[in-house]
Order: sequence, then C-alpha cells, then structure tokens
Amino acid sequence: MSIVANKETRVVIQGGPAGVNAARRMAEFCHLTRQPLHVLAFVFPPDAGKTAEVPFGSELVSIPIFKTMAEATAAFPALNTTLIFVGPDRAFKAAMEALADPKIKLVSMITEGVPEKDSKRLSLEAKKLGKVFNGPSAIGIISAGECRLGVIGGAFDNLILSKLHRPGSFGVITKSGGLSNEIIWICSQFADGITTAIGIGGDAYPGSDYVTYLEMFEKDPQTKAVIIVGEMGGDLEERAAEWFGEKKRRIKLIAVVSGYCQEQLPKGMKFGHAGAKEGQHGEGSARSKADALKKSGAIVPATFGGLGPTIKQVYEEIVARGEVRPTVDGDVTALPKLPKPVEEAIKSGDVFVEPLIKSTISDDRGDEPLYYGYPASDLINKGYQIPHVMGLLWDKRLITPVEAEIVKRIIMLSADHGPCVSGALTTIIAACAGIQMAQSVAAGLIMIGPRFGGAVTDAGKWFKYAVEKKLSPEDFLEHMKKNVGPVPGIGHRVKSVKNPDKRVKELVSFVKSTGVPTPHLDFALSVEKITTAKKDTLILNVDGTIAAVLVDLGWPVESLNGFFILARTIGLIGHWVDQTRNGSRLIRMFNYVVNYASPKRREAPPLETNTKKIEVRQEVLK
Amino acid sequence: MAKVLEGPGMGLLSKWGMTVPHYVVITAADQLDRLSQANPWLRESKLVVKAHEAIGSRMKLGLVKVGLDLDAARKASSEMLGKNLNGMTISQVIISEMIQHKEEFYLAVKSVREGAELLLASVGGIEVEANWEKVKRIAIPLGTDPTREQLASLAKEAGFKGDLAGKVADFALKLYQCYDQEDGTYIEINPLVTREDGDLVALDAVTMVDGDARFRHPDWNFTFASEFGRPYTNDERAIMEIDSRIKGSVKFIEIPGGDTALLPAGGGASVYYSDAVLALGGKIANYAEYSGDPPDWAVEALTEKVCSLKGIKRIIVGGAIANFTNVKKTFAGIINGFRKAKAEGKLEGVEIWVRRGGPFEKEGLAAMKALEAEGFNIHVYDRYTPLTDIIDYAIKGVGK
Repeated sequence: MSIVANKETRVVIQGGPAGVNAARRMAEFCHLTRQPLHVLAFVFPPDAGKTAEVPFGSELVSIPIFKTMAEATAAFPALNTTLIFVGPDRAFKAAMEALADPKIKLVSMITEGVPEKDSKRLSLEAKKLGKVFNGPSAIGIISAGECRLGVIGGAFDNLILSKLHRPGSFGVITKSGGLSNEIIWICSQFADGITTAIGIGGDAYPGSDYVTYLEMFEKDPQTKAVIIVGEMGGDLEERAAEWFGEKKRRIKLIAVVSGYCQEQLPKGMKFGHAGAKEGQHGEGSARSKADALKKSGAIVPATFGGLGPTIKQVYEEIVARGEVRPTVDGDVTALPKLPKPVEEAIKSGDVFVEPLIKSTISDDRGDEPLYYGYPASDLINKGYQIPHVMGLLWDKRLITPVEAEIVKRIIMLSADHGPCVSGALTTIIAACAGIQMAQSVAAGLIMIGPRFGGAVTDAGKWFKYAVEKKLSPEDFLEHMKKNVGPVPGIGHRVKSVKNPDKRVKELVSFVKSTGVPTPHLDFALSVEKITTAKKDTLILNVDGTIAAVLVDLGWPVESLNGFFILARTIGLIGHWVDQTRNGSRLIRMFNYVVNYASPKRREAPPLETNTKKIEVRQEVLK
Repeated sequence: MAKVLEGPGMGLLSKWGMTVPHYVVITAADQLDRLSQANPWLRESKLVVKAHEAIGSRMKLGLVKVGLDLDAARKASSEMLGKNLNGMTISQVIISEMIQHKEEFYLAVKSVREGAELLLASVGGIEVEANWEKVKRIAIPLGTDPTREQLASLAKEAGFKGDLAGKVADFALKLYQCYDQEDGTYIEINPLVTREDGDLVALDAVTMVDGDARFRHPDWNFTFASEFGRPYTNDERAIMEIDSRIKGSVKFIEIPGGDTALLPAGGGASVYYSDAVLALGGKIANYAEYSGDPPDWAVEALTEKVCSLKGIKRIIVGGAIANFTNVKKTFAGIINGFRKAKAEGKLEGVEIWVRRGGPFEKEGLAAMKALEAEGFNIHVYDRYTPLTDIIDYAIKGVGK
C-alpha cells in the first residue's frame, strides 16, 4: 500500500524542459517496476500541438503537449494528478487551472520561489475542493514499487540501492528535497525501506503539512512508522506533535529537527528554506519543536546521526511483534536494468558498432579539433599557417616552410581574376538576383571545370604521367594528340608569348629560387617551348604552372583542383559582398548581346491540323 | 521574507495613505544643501539622523542622533557616512523630521498560515515588550479584509477611546491594505504617535515583504536588506549576485571567528551540518549551500569564498544523496576552487572532509579523492557513511 501516489496515478506535467526531465525520471521508475508509463500528457502552451520524447526502457515514447489542462484531461480521461514545473510568476495560475479541473485530485508543485500569499491561497482552494495541494518547492512524492512523482529518489542506481522497487514499512515526510533521499536510503539500510516518501517543501506555508499526510499514513496498514524531518521556523512540527499526542495512534512517529545552531548564531540569520526562520518571540526554535514532539510520544533522536539506529530499533520491534515479516530481497540483478545509451555501452565494451563512415584526417571529440593529430591551438601558437593546415588535411603531412610559402603564393595568385570569368560572373548574377552568400558562392564554384580553373588536376595528372613514363616532350604531345586531345594547362585565351602572364613568371622564378627539385615544372616548360613554336598563345598557363609545381611538391593529384576552389572561394565571397553592399540591381542580359537565332514571329496553326511533325521539323532545319 | 530598509519602508506606508514623517536618504553630507532648498521642513523642523543600514542597536552604537538643526544634521551625517564597523561601511543615512508627541502606540500585521494577524496596543516604543499582554489581536482569514467595525472594536478593546479609536481603526485598515497589496509578511509600526495636529503618524516601522513576489511589484525599486543586524559583506553580495542569475542556487553568509568552514549541499542538510559542528564544540565560520544542480562555475566561485574565510582549520563538503544535482559536475567546480585557493596559499593546514551521494557519485567522489595525490589533506566518504559522521571525524578526530 501507499498513500497519495500509487499504481493508478496518471500524471500530466505542467511545464517545459524541467518537466520533460522529470518525466524521464518517472519513466525510469515505471521501467524498474514494470508498469506502463504514468505520465500521459504535458501542458505547456508555447509547445502546444507538439510532442515531447521520453525514453522508456529501450523505446522513445512521444507524449503530447497541450495548451490547457482541460484539453489534456479531455484527451486522457485517466489523468488524476499534475506536477507543476512552471516559473514562480505563472505557478499560481497553473495550479488554479489544475485545481479547477474536476479530474485532477492531486496538485504537486515543484516550483521554488512562489510567493507565500499564492501558496496560502492555493492551499485554501485545494481544501475547499477536497483535493491535495503539495508544495511549492517540493521535490515530489514516491511510493515504493508503485509511483514516482517528480525526481524524488534520485538516479536509477539509487532507486535500486534504496529498495524503491518494492514497498517497506516506513513513511517519510520531509521539508528538504535532498534529505528525503537520505532518509529513504537510511530506511533501506536500517530497516525494510519505505511505503511512501513525501517532500512537502521548505516554504513557510506549504499547501499540505505533516498532519495532512500523518492522517493518511495512520490509515495505511502497511505503514508502521513515520519519520518526519523538521527544521526551525513555523509551527508545522508542533502541529504534528499535537496531532500525534491527541490520541493513541497506530503508527510510531520518529522525528528529527534541525536548527539548534540558531541558538549560537547571529539572531535573525536565515537558513536554507524560506520556512526556516525564527518565529516572533521565540516560537519555532528547533529545541521547542523537538520538545513538543518528544512530549507527544514521538521518538526524537538527539542528532541526525541517531536516526539510523532509532529506525533500526523500531523496525526490530515491529518485526518482533509480528507486524512485519522481515523482507528477503531476491536477486536485485534480476530487476529490469536501465538500457545504456550506445555511447556508454561502447565505452564499457558491451557492444560493438560498425562505423558508417571513416575519417583519417581529423578528430573533434576532445576539447578542440585535431588536424591529423595536431591540436589546432598548438599549431596556432607555434606559428603554423593556413598552408600547413591544408597540408595536414589534404595530404596528411606537415609541410616545410618553403612548401608553405609556395602554397601561400599559389593561393594568393589564384584568389581572384576579376568579374568576367565564369565563376565570378555566376556569383555576381546570383548576388544580383538576391540569392544568399552560400548559394551564390556555390553557384560560382560549380563553374569550375575543364574550361575554368578545373584544368589544374588534369594538367597535374598528365605531366605526372609523362614524367613517370619518362616521355620526351615530343612523344608526350604525340600521345596527347592521339589519345586525349588538347593538353590541359597549355594555352590561354588572352595571354601569349608576346603578352606573357606575369603570375606564371613570378611563380616559376620563385619556385626555382627555393632550390626544390622541379622535374614536372621543367617538363611543362619544355612542352611550352614546342607548343609556342606552333602558335604563340599555346603558353604554359597559370593552371598548368600551379599543377606542375604542386606535383613537384608531392601533392596528390586528386587534390589539385582544391587549390583553385579554395583560392577562388575568397574571390567569390568578395564579389558577393561587393554586389550586395552596392545594392546591385537585378541583371537582365541586353538583347543586343544575344543572337536571336530562333524562327521569326508566325501564327500558331490550329491544334487539329498540327499532325505533320516531320514537315514542321524539316522547315526548322532549312 | 525580505527586509526593507526604513526609507523604502516608509515609502510603502505612504503609498497606502499612512502619514509618515518627512524624510530624505543621502549618501553624502553635501547632498543636504540642495535638498534643503526643495524641502523647507529640513530647515524648519528639528531633525533625526540615523544610519540607513540593516544594523541592530543603532542607538547604542551612536548611529542615531535626535533633535538636530540642519547644520548639526549635516555634521552628524558626515560623521556617520563612511564609518567602518567590523568591516562594514555605512553608506547611507536617513534624515527625518522629528515629530513632537505625547503618547506612543503599537500596530503590526503579520502573516500566519490561515491569513494574517493584526496586533494593536495603546502602549508603544520599548513599553510594548514589557506589556505584551496589552497587545490585542484579531485574525484576518485568507481572502477577507477586516471591516472598519472590527478594527474599531479592536481599538476599543486595546484601550483607545472616542475619536482616537476611529482614527486608529482607519490607520489599521490602511496598514492591512498595504500589507496585503504589497505582499507583506510582517509590518510593525512602533511607535505610532499622534502629532500635535491630531493626525496619526508612523514614526518607525519594520517592513518585511515577500521577496519572491518581486515579479509583480515593478515599483519595488529598492534592494532588500539583510535580516541579521548587519549589512551584507562584499563576498556575500558577490555570491548573491551569482545566485540571482543561475539555475539552481548558491548561498553564502560569513560568521567571523569560526574554525569550521561549511560547503554543504542543499538547504536541509546544510542546517544539520551546522547543528552537528556546534553540537561537537566546533565553531562555524559560515553558512553555505548549493542546490538545484547549479553550474560548476557558480560552485567554484562559492568554494573560493569558503576557502578565503579567515582562520579556518577545516572545510566540510557535506551532502545528502542528491535527487538530480550532478555530483561529478558540482564537485568539478569545488575541485577547481580548491586548486585555485591552494595555488594562492590559502589552504595551509586546512583539512577537507567530504561526504556525498547522488547522480554520478562514484565519479565525483573519485575526483575528490584524487586530490590527495596533489597534496591536499582530504578525506572522502560515500553514502555508506552516515550524513554528519564526517563532523565527528573532523572535530573529535574519531573513526578516521
């Protein structure tokens, strides 16, 4: 048996993320005790119409969120209890809404910092309606083996350690959330555990007090003794003493009261809970409360530490009287376990998961990304530059300072080649059409291909082929003519022998000055000699030069277009920003730059006569 | 409960139609020059100057001066302002009009479980304590207002006669409205006096309102005062500031002269730890708590304040079995705080005692235990050690 919360309790939670967290904890308890989920609905207007996901065993249950309590109870007629997690400024309204619903019999409020006046009014309203209002600032209610309302009981391991999966003989009523778990734990260590534990909250005027629940425990035959954990301030402990001493009670009462320290501390000092304040004219001290409880016949150990042995003694007495048979706990390992999240299971070696993808260049699982094993901050602090990061991520090696300088120059030379080239033009058109940056830049980048920048990889590939096969420039050109076509990296639309490309000149002379071996560059230059002799625009262009140099430096051929893509992204972003900042108008091509080669205006023939497809087609071809 | 200082307290009474003496609150004596231009009463009345701080026994400490003219008030203000009392500085004084009167009365309203209680006596000032049986009271059930007739008959019962009984009833009704509408928890007017023109005036008041109700009182433009007879210290204010902007809570009150610093979790356990220290003859150096799964940086800040307490021999990191406070995470905050304090040479000769349970307790306790290797004098216990037994170990030196 239990009081307040039991197997029939069906819960709606009023509140957002904190409420969902509580639902998860409650689901853990339902899983442990092999019950269906007690939480059926949420009321949280901002998310009304959505669902909140709660792990339950190895499943994920979707719980609907409603705008009002009435909608929730209409959808789930079994609801009889609410847990309130909404903020203190809205808690009163939420609780009144719940109390007004005829289906809701128990309102338990977790919210802290609720004004006293609101709490008193809610308490009065609940009494008028014959309902229970527990809280505010109350951790919740747990009935061993039956129901958990809120996060009381703590983590899953603690539920099992504290024997909360099956009922014992002790009732618990506390003002403090943290101590409720402690007392439950003590009951499981020194006796057979609890029936129900209730946190009433530490406020000055909680909705339900010790007496409310003592009455209920008195009527619950399974509860043999009740422990109350009190503190100085207010008069709830005195009221409990009065109730207990009033007549002979079936239950034993064990109590501790904190706040003796107040006798030695600065007067008026406020402790812990709002309710723990000294009353006017000396009422409400820990000592007077403990005295009142003792006088009423309750057992009051001298210290908190005395609680365990006292509980043990009471338990042994009730066992000796035959009121309770000592519990023999079976194998707790047979209890349902909380499924581990995959990450945890992997960590403990319980499962193996075949990965979906593989990454050999970087790892972001620590406190910062590692680029091929090197922490990004370490690279920064040791003066490494962007080319080194490219080296690590594109070629898995820490390149030398000379290589880095060459790469840097390549990027700088390729960053932008004006607005007229196909990539930049496309980005500009997109920017003018009002397209966002990422899409506009991407549009420009997809122009990269055999006729725009995309020759770098191909040029590298063929120069490398020629050098590996030890072909002479003549044999190479013969091979290309026969099998491939125009040589990638050779030829320029506007540059020629007479109008040389300064970028190529600069790059070649710098690379040469560094002393790195340049077999591919040398080969490319010897090819250029032959081709320019045939036609003076067949120069080694910037793509070809970059390709030859990078192959000389050992970069993988498949990465080479990446240099162009990376460098040109800088320019494309610039063009997008430029157009956007200028508020450029939408581009429409001028008619005069188009050769309108389509048929002249004519009348469309009637539909039914349009059967002679071939005739029409022949006319077009003429 | 939150105490409101005299100035804003008088402001609340006046808002609800009760007559209070003219007053100004100043932070520098020369502000009086400008104020006396706009407030003729400062030039024309006898004045009272009081330190405007939450300090008990101001009269005894010489922080109340009566019967002054403007010049003397300026001089008294300038003497009080900036004065240092046990590390707390007087930063404001209140200067009010001195009201001539013959009789003093007592009027109060306090929150009780069933509603409120209104107390009235025809004696006031220090007399009322000695004549507590003369205090007459009525209960005002929740959701009701007292009627004028009820209050008038209470006034008669308390010994007020004729016209005065009616005036007292009117005044009491205004006080109740003020209490009710301002989310009061306790308002005591002592003394209530009759001015020469026959009007009732609240000469002095203790005003406590419900700090939790602040959200519905946008006109509460004042900060709350401490309730234990001294202003908050800078460290206390720093933790209050952190407390006001985090999820969960951290709290800190200093008690000079203690040898045992407390860093317990939760409002309930913290008091049991304080009790246990005192029961065993220790002296607590502070009150602290952290609860509701506060962020680790907030717990770290609290730890640093605790480690900075002067003259401590031990620190108790106690706690029950948490419901949802992440032990590993909050302990990480404490550990960071300990390391910083140690690096600053603050933990010389200080023993640390730990007992805790809750989510991630194993990891949290192991991290704490690992501090041993860093040279901390630390003793770590888990849930199998009863809650306050570490106090026995720490103070009596048993069971280690």
